[in-house]
Amino acid sequence: MAQKRFAFVIEIDRCIDCKACMVACSVENNVPVGHHRNWVKQIGPNGTYPILGMHFEAGNCMHCTNPPCERVCPTGATYRRDDGLVMINQDICIGCKYCIEACPYDARYFNEETGTTDKCTGCVHRVYRGEEPACVATCIGNSRHFGDINDPRSEVSELIAKNKYYTVYEEAGTHPAVYYIYRGERSNEP
Amino acid sequence: MKRNNKDSDEIQYSMSRRKFLGLSAAGAGAAVAAGSGFDQLQAYAAKYGDVVRPTIQNGEVYSLCEMCVWRCGLVAKVRNGKITKLEGNPHHPHSRGKLCPRGQAGLGVTYDPDRLKWPLIRVGKRGEGKFRKVTWGEALDYIAEQMLAIKKKHGPEAMVFSTTHNLLQQQFENLLGAFGSPNYGTQRSLCFNSMITANMLTYGFEEPGRDYKDTAYIIYAGRNLMEAISNSETQDLVEAIANGAKVVVLDPRFSKTAARATDWIPIRPGTDLAFFLAMIHEIIATDLHNKEFVEKYTFGFDELAKEVKKYTPEWAEKECGVSAETIRRVARDFAIAAPRAFAHPNWRTSNFVNSFQTERAIAVLNSIVGNWNKVGGQCPIFGEGEGAGLGSIPQPPYPRSRALRLDGVPYKYPLVPLKLGIFQNLRDAMLTGKPYQAHGWFIYRQNPLSSIPERRKTLQAMAKLDFITVIDVIMNDTAYYADVVLPEATYLERYDPLTVLDGNIYIRQPVIEPLFDSKPGLWIFKELGKRLGLGDYFQYKDEEDYIQAQLRPLPITLEKMKEQGMYVPFEKKEESIESTVFNTSTGKIELSSTLLKRLGHKSVPHWLAPPRPTEEEFYLLTGKVALHTQFFTQNNKLLSDLFPENPLWIHTSAAAQRGIKDGDEVYVESRVGKVKTKALVTEGIRPDCVFMVTGFGHFSKGMRTAFKNGVSDSDLHQTFTDPISGGQALTQTFVKVYKA
Repeated sequence: MAQKRFAFVIEIDRCIDCKACMVACSVENNVPVGHHRNWVKQIGPNGTYPILGMHFEAGNCMHCTNPPCERVCPTGATYRRDDGLVMINQDICIGCKYCIEACPYDARYFNEETGTTDKCTGCVHRVYRGEEPACVATCIGNSRHFGDINDPRSEVSELIAKNKYYTVYEEAGTHPAVYYIYRGERSNEP
Repeated sequence: MKRNNKDSDEIQYSMSRRKFLGLSAAGAGAAVAAGSGFDQLQAYAAKYGDVVRPTIQNGEVYSLCEMCVWRCGLVAKVRNGKITKLEGNPHHPHSRGKLCPRGQAGLGVTYDPDRLKWPLIRVGKRGEGKFRKVTWGEALDYIAEQMLAIKKKHGPEAMVFSTTHNLLQQQFENLLGAFGSPNYGTQRSLCFNSMITANMLTYGFEEPGRDYKDTAYIIYAGRNLMEAISNSETQDLVEAIANGAKVVVLDPRFSKTAARATDWIPIRPGTDLAFFLAMIHEIIATDLHNKEFVEKYTFGFDELAKEVKKYTPEWAEKECGVSAETIRRVARDFAIAAPRAFAHPNWRTSNFVNSFQTERAIAVLNSIVGNWNKVGGQCPIFGEGEGAGLGSIPQPPYPRSRALRLDGVPYKYPLVPLKLGIFQNLRDAMLTGKPYQAHGWFIYRQNPLSSIPERRKTLQAMAKLDFITVIDVIMNDTAYYADVVLPEATYLERYDPLTVLDGNIYIRQPVIEPLFDSKPGLWIFKELGKRLGLGDYFQYKDEEDYIQAQLRPLPITLEKMKEQGMYVPFEKKEESIESTVFNTSTGKIELSSTLLKRLGHKSVPHWLAPPRPTEEEFYLLTGKVALHTQFFTQNNKLLSDLFPENPLWIHTSAAAQRGIKDGDEVYVESRVGKVKTKALVTEGIRPDCVFMVTGFGHFSKGMRTAFKNGVSDSDLHQTFTDPISGGQALTQTFVKVYKA
């Protein structure tokens, strides 16, 4: 069995921008009110009344294969696990915030309570006891998916095998592990 | 963006001033530290002595959500005696393992630093926010004394009771029935009176269900499932769209549902009726109706056909601003897709006094294409709480009330079901003293100062009353003006009576013991009943005894029920169209209503022109978002963090004409009120409409997160009651908008 490579697949057409993923993440991970580890971006309305389009792009830490945050971390607190998840060792993070600046996805925040940087962990603590990440588990539109893309029979592998997908800022050389499937606007859109 | 330390002089509890100060300091500290982490809310709760008494130390508890009325199943995770996370119950048909953002934020209710902690009796003037902390004994004795004094002096009908949709509603109705008052207010007339009444008159039941699986075509004219989330139905819609269903959304605003639809039709408010009448016309004119179904299961087709003859798509185009070509296309596609097609009954359409006719037209449209009980069409839904053989608690019959109801039901509104009532009329009667003066108001889990149109009138009506008491989990706006406020345990801390859904039984049970000095509703009603001399109506020892009485006829113990969270009876009845009982006078689906005819109304759906705003006015639209439930969630930090206020949507062109830029402060002025808010300039709305999310603009200083955030539509809405269904016409208010 190949080494695991965890990834998110997000189906844009299924996202309804309810933000259940954001609230679920905040509660699961004790995120201080005012900060978030994940997001839903509203794109639109585009066009001119009454011909309009709008869709939503949910996201979180891209768990890059080549993470810029890791390179700038002076203490080695940010590291990449063998299963692909990018983590922060809270015990040795000194809160210098270089990584916050380095991340092209704005996926990190400074936690005033702990004096350290924080971000999405892929809910690794849930995943290894057999649960989905909190954001995925509660996704009303079934837009968010999580799994091992090195396993060809996993749901995420099948989704990216069967659909055209894109990743964000691929040109930065980050090789992000959040894949977006977008089947396009509905027919009423421009 | 922190709103908590705003000007609020804190609400004052005179007897506990010192304790209170300590408490508010903790609250403010939590708010100022940009952190105010969720742990802090819990730590804060834990600070109050031994308040955290978990039912289990570590593990999972099945229960039911109460963040809206959909009642999803949940699984609460508990660690070291604290609730750490809520998940959707995978075995519950409403959640299917998922919770919406409000459901996920349930801990924000239980661990809200602003929770009501003890019973309070007012010491200052009404609305001054000065209360003294009292014991339950003192509070309940006082309430009973006041209610009995009113009963003695003015009769039981002088006490008004009101509540909103909840699992304890039956026990609440038990209290008012036993007390002997006919005056019962619910939220229903502010919501779906026209839908329910129209379906009762057409089908003989309240609401047809929808079969999303395998549906090919859906029309919405008000139900905004992507933002006003009903978990399972929203999930169903997303799946239906993914499976290629065509979705038509009639909405003057580009909602998130509209964004995911195949057709967004920005129709003129109040004219959906014209659209549906023209669809019926077109389907009959092109012979696309299901003749066999119409013949066998419906009544009054010829009368209908005669009436709709004049409602051509060209006629409708003039009324609703939708091209005749579009109406023809939707009518044809809908009829061809049928029976795998339905026009959703909605909760409310674009709400005018013609909404009853709109809902009738929708019911009739579905009937002529014969989608009843067909795959992908409409289907029966089991009534909640019915069947499944639950036991009940013995009780004597209620005293007979001879008094008229203050809301005019049924003597002025013979078609409005008693349990729906007309809330806005009830408020007006409190104000006018006609047909008689009310003297007391018992309010449970409700905030009428924010929900009923014309807040000023509601305040004036309250000023006429001798006694007001509110039971809630938070000092909502109405509680702030009450004489006695009782703290109820939140839904994660109490039992409610068992409920039945799709023939299965589900339990709401405490995950932790009630925090502070809050008490479960079942306990409160029993204790109050005892003091009112109505103990016989509450023959249960405690919450568990009540549930055990419900379970008695069934082969399951309370322990097992608690462990599983649900019980599936052995046999369930399958419904077929042959077994459907259309509970109408003819026993058929009434396209022409015999009852309407008997009461002197026109019996088939027909055009009623809605009023239009003047050149300088806008239609005021109001609606929901995924992150809030009515007036109840704005103090929940987990939700308000993501949706803190409700700016006014205005179209780019209308804003430009008035020199309004995005983010500018504007006045919104109706014929009854004026508010100042921020403008959200967008392409996504008809240029003759403005929109705001409902539920904001709280003025209770006891809600420190929500206090004065955004504005309340109840300051703007005018009161208009549909003469047939009693529904409040929420869209019939027109406003002027100008730069502040």
